Amino acid sequence: MNAITPLLTRRKLGIGANRASKRRVFFNLILITLVVAVLVLAQIFVVSMSRGIADKWAYLADGHLQLYLGPGQELPTHPNIDSIEEVGEVNALLYSPDKNQMVRVKGVESTYFSKRRLEQLSIRVGEASTSTLARIMISTTLADQLSVSLGDRLALMMVSNDAIRAQLCIIEALYDSGYRELDEQLIYCDLSFVKRLFGTGLASSWEILTENGRLNALKDDLERAGYLSTTWEEQNAALSTNLDTSRQAVLAVMVVVAILCGYFISELSAQMVEDDKARIATLHLIGADPRTVRTAYWRAVMAITAVSLTLGTLLGILCARLLPPVLAHLSARSYSALSFYLLDFPIRIPVLDISIIVSVLLLVSAISVHLSLKRVAAIEPLSCVRFD
Amino acid sequence: MKRSTELLHLQHIAKSFPSTQRGGEPIQILESVDLTMERSHAIAITGNSGSGKSTLLQIAAGLLGCDHGDVWFEGELLSRMDGRSLSQVRSRRMGFIFQASLLLEDFTASENVQIAAMIGGSTKAEAKAKAAEILALVGLSNRLGHRPDQLSGGEKQRVAIARALVNEPSILFADEPTGSLDEGNAAMVEELLFSLVRTKGVALMLVTHNPAFASRCDEVYRISDRMLEAIG
Repeated sequence: MNAITPLLTRRKLGIGANRASKRRVFFNLILITLVVAVLVLAQIFVVSMSRGIADKWAYLADGHLQLYLGPGQELPTHPNIDSIEEVGEVNALLYSPDKNQMVRVKGVESTYFSKRRLEQLSIRVGEASTSTLARIMISTTLADQLSVSLGDRLALMMVSNDAIRAQLCIIEALYDSGYRELDEQLIYCDLSFVKRLFGTGLASSWEILTENGRLNALKDDLERAGYLSTTWEEQNAALSTNLDTSRQAVLAVMVVVAILCGYFISELSAQMVEDDKARIATLHLIGADPRTVRTAYWRAVMAITAVSLTLGTLLGILCARLLPPVLAHLSARSYSALSFYLLDFPIRIPVLDISIIVSVLLLVSAISVHLSLKRVAAIEPLSCVRFD
Repeated sequence: MKRSTELLHLQHIAKSFPSTQRGGEPIQILESVDLTMERSHAIAITGNSGSGKSTLLQIAAGLLGCDHGDVWFEGELLSRMDGRSLSQVRSRRMGFIFQASLLLEDFTASENVQIAAMIGGSTKAEAKAKAAEILALVGLSNRLGHRPDQLSGGEKQRVAIARALVNEPSILFADEPTGSLDEGNAAMVEELLFSLVRTKGVALMLVTHNPAFASRCDEVYRISDRMLEAIG
């Protein structure tokens, strides 16, 4: 490596350079940093939201795994099973004095709302009632739709495979999972209540909670042991596929934006060369090998890119960490345009997705900057004399 | 053909430029120019504006191609060299001074000279020592850390001279080196240039309008009507 390369690179980076050069470098650095931060933030947001939706379904609607016990089968024991709860489900029409709504009635035990499930929703319990009516918990969304509140009475017309039962109920509690599509259709009641109404006609199963990463292994083990089970993805294939497709589509869009950003960085290097034509010509005049000059510019641009990528990624992650309070604020404002979006979800950093975006941007900029700097060789030494 | 005894030999050089008018005839600048320079000799090229003095210097230095003819430098055919070989020749065996100092604005006086030394093959430490030494020779030891915009016109030109000579080239090409300076600075730069060229045994090809400046060279040529003629 020629000894002038580091000196030229450092000066192009603004180290020891005049204020104008430093300002130019700083401006480009900020620009790329902001673009990367937005890309990273958007990807974190989309991935966190889609995983948040998946969690809502898994924890509140179906469990990670639904287990169906055959005659004489005992409940399985497995180290990957975090909890197992019996549930019974029927479909129903829920009537308020003015309106009605198709719902999914889920009968659960009192132990159902464990700490992990309670993280997925907030529950508001009404005053203790002496009523002998069956007690149900509906969502605040549903309560609003039906124009009812805590302590009000509703009629349930429940339908199983072989029976129809009508029952008057009282709203004992309201929940809010933050995900409207789930809240609109899911109500909870005591398992004993639906069992009493439908007896053996009730579709009951066992909901297993585990970690996402251990789900498939657990399912395989259970199947080998002769148990019939379905994952929440299998149970909600359309939703699961949509979430996956959305994540991949957004990642593809981010990659395309990263490619465009890489191209923009090559434009930055081209502009740098254009601005420095006289300087490069002078270097050529005094015998500098064009490859040496090109290497210096390439290193300078890539150093700016690498620093910007690092700062942009960190900034994107930091902004993502600050998102929950902002989203909670938006959620509290109940903007109708946002009502179908999940605004309450934990932030997850999709390391692989971010690595892909950053790697693509780095690779595209490395190649495009290399190609754009070929113009360095075309700068004639004599052109510096014409520039003076 | 190898001409090891001569430093620079120009043989039957012809050069024309395209006409500025559409479809016009090319403008012939030089026609069958021959010139030989010995080592450590100083020659001056004079002539009217637009006569082709600078063009001849640029062809001799390998900076500009010619339509016909050959340029030999230290026994090598300069006019047929590829870009990389020409860069190597320019970096180690040639020095350049133009009317403008052409210093790199972002670099200090010392760094400007160091860069030329490093391009010429010196290590960083060697380049730094060489730069300090030669800048002291041109009287700028107190300006090492100054950028071009902190130097006067005369000082900039002295840095340019230092940069041109730091690799101890065989020849120095100087195109109107005092053209942009006031009388006092011009005289000082002129004196310095000849003093260093003589001391270091470097050949000088000087393009100038100034007859007094030209007369200090060993030989003086004039370009007139596309031809080169010796006038002193």
